[in-house]
This record gives sequence, C-alpha cells and structure tokens, in this order.
Amino acid sequence: MRSPNGIAPIIRTWAAAFPGAAGRAVRRIPPITWARAGLFVVVFLAFALTDSRFSRVVNVYTIFEGFAWLGLAALAVGITIIAGEFDLSVGSAAAVAGILAMMLIGDLGLVPTILVVALIGMAFGLVQGMLIYRLRIASLVFTLGSLIGLRGLAFMISGENTVVMPNLELAKTVKQQLGIFSPFSLTTLGIFLLVGLFLRYHRYGREIFAIGGGRNEAIAAGVPLARPLIIAFGLSGTIAAITGALLSVKSGSAAPTGFETLLLPAVTAALIGGVSLFGGKGSALGIVTGTLTIRFLISGLSLRGAAYYVERLAVGVLLIIVVVLELVLDRPELRARLRLWRLRRSMAREARAG
Amino acid sequence: MIDPDPKLESTPGMPDEAARIRSSRIATVAIVVASVAVLFLVGWLTTPQFVQWSNLRNIIRSGAMIGMMALGITFVTLSGNFFSLSVSQTGAFAAIAFAFLMSWGWPLPVALVVVLLGALLVGAAQGGLVALGGNPIVVTLGFGAALFGLGSILTDNKTIRHGNTAADWMGTGRPLGIPTQTWAFIFLCVIAAVVLTRTRFGRNVLFVGANKYAAAASGIRPSRVAVQVFAISAMAASIAGLFLSAQFGEGRLDSFAGDDINAIAAILVGGAALQGGEGSALRTGLGAVFIAALDNLMVLRKFSFGVRRFWVGVAILAAVSLFNYLRSRARTT
Repeated sequence: MRSPNGIAPIIRTWAAAFPGAAGRAVRRIPPITWARAGLFVVVFLAFALTDSRFSRVVNVYTIFEGFAWLGLAALAVGITIIAGEFDLSVGSAAAVAGILAMMLIGDLGLVPTILVVALIGMAFGLVQGMLIYRLRIASLVFTLGSLIGLRGLAFMISGENTVVMPNLELAKTVKQQLGIFSPFSLTTLGIFLLVGLFLRYHRYGREIFAIGGGRNEAIAAGVPLARPLIIAFGLSGTIAAITGALLSVKSGSAAPTGFETLLLPAVTAALIGGVSLFGGKGSALGIVTGTLTIRFLISGLSLRGAAYYVERLAVGVLLIIVVVLELVLDRPELRARLRLWRLRRSMAREARAG
Repeated sequence: MIDPDPKLESTPGMPDEAARIRSSRIATVAIVVASVAVLFLVGWLTTPQFVQWSNLRNIIRSGAMIGMMALGITFVTLSGNFFSLSVSQTGAFAAIAFAFLMSWGWPLPVALVVVLLGALLVGAAQGGLVALGGNPIVVTLGFGAALFGLGSILTDNKTIRHGNTAADWMGTGRPLGIPTQTWAFIFLCVIAAVVLTRTRFGRNVLFVGANKYAAAASGIRPSRVAVQVFAISAMAASIAGLFLSAQFGEGRLDSFAGDDINAIAAILVGGAALQGGEGSALRTGLGAVFIAALDNLMVLRKFSFGVRRFWVGVAILAAVSLFNYLRSRARTT
C-alpha cells in the first residue's frame, strides 16, 4: 500500500513540468485542491463514458436542476463554515421559507414573493448572527435551538399540512427548460456569482475568511468580530430562504416536514468543494464544483436504476471519504505526527532488539 | 507597607474564581432541579391527568429511551467533541440487526452481544476519525447517513418482524410495576454518574473536555478518549434500539426519527457545556425527564406537533443562554 503522503510529491513533480507564469500558478494550487478537482473529473468521466444517456441535454438539465437547490443550500452552510461557525438551521429555515412563499405567492406574484421571503430570511439570519455574537454562544448550539424552533414554526404556520401553491402555472415558469438551464438554475448561478465576488473581493467578504481562519489574529488586526459574523449568518439565512422558496415554487407545494435531510448533502457539497471545517478556507467556485460532483454521482446512480435511498448511502460515504482526504492531505502536522509515531515505534523495536 | 497590586486580585485562577465557578455549578444544578419541579407543579395544577401514575409511567418510559441515548452523548459532549448526530440511526440499525438475528433464531444473549459489539465498532470508527482531527458533527452526520442507507438496502425499507418471543420480557416486562426500559435507564444513569465522577476514565473525559492541551501535556491521550466516548455513545444508542426492538418485536429504520435532537436537547437542558468539561450524567437524566414531561404535558393540553417542537426549541435556547450566562459570569467578573 502506498502511503498517503506519496501523492503530494507526485503532483509537485508533475506541476514542475509547466514553464513560466503558468507553472507558478499551477504550483501554487495545493494538493488537496488537485484531489478535489480530480474527484470531480473522475466522477463525471466514470458516468459520461459508461452511460450514453448521461451527457444528453435532458440529463444535464436535470443535473443542473438538482445543482440549483443543493448548491444554494451548500452555499448557505458553507459561508458560516468559512466564518468558523456552523449553521445547522438551514433546513428548517428553508421549510419555513417554502411555506411562506406558498402563502404569499397568490397575492404577490413570483418575483416579489421570492424577494420578500429572501428579506424575511435575511432579517432572521441577521438577528440570529447578532444573538450569537451578543450571547457568545457557540453557533452550533444556538442554531440547534433554531433548527428545532423553526421546524415547529413551519408546522404552526402551515397548520400541520402541506400547503399547495394556488397558481400552479408558476411552477412551469421556474423550471422551463432553456437548453441545459432553467430560470431556477440560472438564478442560482447568478447568486453564486454575486456571493462569490463579494466573498472574494469585498472587504466585508474577506473579513468572513479572516475570522474563520484565525479569529484571535483577525481581532488583533482590527477586524470587528460582529460585522463578519452577522453578515455570514445574514447571508446564510437569506440563501436558505431563497432555496426553500424557489424549490417549493418549483414543486408547487411546501410541506412542514420538508428539507429535513437538507443538511447532509449541503455540508457534503461544501466540504467536497474545498470549504475547510477549520474555517477560513473555501470559495463559491469550489462549492459549485463540489455540488456538481454530488449531482453527477446521484444522476449516474439513478440512471442505473438505483433506489432513492442508495443516494443517501452514497452521499454519506462520500462525506466520510472527503473527511479522510482532508485529514491526510490538508494537515501537515498530522503527517508529521504520523512520521514521529513510526519513528518512535521503530526506535522502540530497536531498543527491544538491542 | 506595599499595597497589594490591585490587578492581582482579579487574576484568573485565584481562589475566589474557583469559588465562583463552584457556585455557578451549584446554581446550574438548582436550576435544572427547579425547572423539573416547576414543570411538574404546573402540570399538576393545570392538568389533573398529568400526575396520574399511568401517565407518569408513560413519561418515564419515553424519557428512558431519549435518556439512554442522551447518556451516551453526554460522554461525547463532556469530552469536548460536541455531540453525535448518528445516534438515532445507530439505534435504528441496532433494532434492525437485532430483529434479523432473532428471526434467524439466534439465542438471545448471543444476539445482544453481537449487536452491542457491532455498535462498539461503529462508534469506535467514528471516534477514530474524530481523533485524527475530523469534525465530530460532520463525521457523525456522514456515518448516520451511511448507516441509514445501509439499513434501507438491507431491509428494502420494510419493517422486519422477527416473531421470536424470547425477547418479549425485555420489551414489555414490568418488574415492581416499572417498565424494563426505565430500570435500564436508571441503572445506566447511575453507572454513567459513577464512571464520570469516580473513575480515572471519567476524570480523563472531563479533563480532556475542559482543556485538551493541558490533558495531553499531563499524559492523557485525547485521541484515545475520543475513540472511547464515541464507542460509548454508539453502544448506549444501540441499547435503546434493542429495547425498542424487543418491545415491538420488530426493527424499523425510522424507529428513532428525530430522537437525536431530543437527546441533545436533554443534555443541553441538563446544563452541560457544549464546549466540554462541564456537565453530569444525573443532570442529563433529569434533562431527559424534563423533555419527556414537557412533551407529554403539551400532548395532554392538546398542543399540535408543531407547537410542541417549537417550545422544545425555545426551551433549548433558554437553557443554553441562561447556563452560558452563568458560566461566563463565573469566569470573567
């Protein structure tokens, strides 16, 4: 068996073959990113080469439809993970948003409904971020409370029943096929573009990375903790609400039990996309890649006629694989510890022999 | 005479800080006990059937199932590894495995041991990944999904009825008028409390949770503790699964749907600190009784499911904010 630290040097030698500026850019990309990009390509090729139905326009459209909601959910959780926090409440927030959208859309129409629900989600997210900052409670605990509370709210406002959209025509508007895209997936891509640019280039976006990567250092350097923290949760709430609203409009109904299993694929997509659980690392483009990797896998499996519950096994296993990959590739100190442990063992063996 | 340095008095680690932390701990216990008492008082005054013996027995039976899972997770929480999100799937998987083994006619003790050993391995595997630096939430989320998927494939999403009566007494027996589940819960509660406060292992768990680096520096291996606590958590969950399977003579994948949240709620209402190092098995037990009694009272008052969930969420947020405030005041003023 080859040891895991064998991969990085191979990539480095390979990258060294590139000359000049391109080579420098290639060499700057860390091994874990190569591993992720490799996973993306391998999963795609594995299905595209073995199943002719996989790359048909209809199937690619389906993949992007799945990408549209999963990507948004992954972005919502991902932003809070980048900030060094964890928002467990996205699934429940999406459920409440979906029901609100179903109740409002008859009077307001499609676009205003989405905007109003997004604003409500933003208001909720901002308040949640503010409380987490003020009360100094681990966001994991706080959002666990709101995960349960919002689920209850979803049951309360829906009267415990599935709410059906009054004008079902709108569902078709959202999912109508435009080549491989639909208004739904195009909206998602637009949101990704905006959020991605904000995270990458705006000062407030950079602050989210700063408090995630090294919170004490960031505060020492003058980053006000409140601002990025509240913005991260505000964005998370907004995007979760948009996810719930759009997906409910698309399916024409919203159930209070909806989105209960949203967290698992969302976190998996974010992690495959290079969001680090240690905070401070990740990108919108990465989350797009991660989400597509999952959608390729699910699409390929369902084309083969796998039952829906195989998806959950696959996503769970994929999540475990990514955690292991991140552990062995992205943690130099762990590799050092492993070497130390081997050294200590061999020394002990020698001592016993001598 | 030289005046004592005024700053020295507020230096952390001074005796008065220890006293403050101790008094905040006593306050936490008092609050937990008082909230359970107040809840029962309110129930008694507003809803007569709440305090009837048959209803109390229902409360302790449902509290026992949540409580057994919560006791297991308490070890995880105290060791500073937050919580496990795979306990409901572990419990359901144990129920399925047990139902399969019983339907194949395996003897009861063998089936029990096999299921518990399986849970031990699954838990230790999760603990191993956490020990290597994996995030506990994500690792257990992944394992939970994998177990659920595997369970779906094995059972084809159907209920497994085993029709074997050997385990009936375990599920429906009532020694001294109290259900076996409740006996098991009380028993596990005492064991967990003794282990946590009176054994070296228990002290190690709390020490690692309170300060991982100090613990490592004094020769405790945090990674070993992580493996142990997750194994305990998975075994506790599978014990709950075994009782459920024995009670209904079946194994179902959705047996414990939503129960990890209730179990974690019990821990948080019991005042354990999620960052580790602070909490107790008995308080978790009380927390489980509180959650079960609250839910039961709301059912009797004909609250709908949504309203009940909502108030459980509110109870968690209130408990967490209050205990967090108490602890931070003890450390910083």
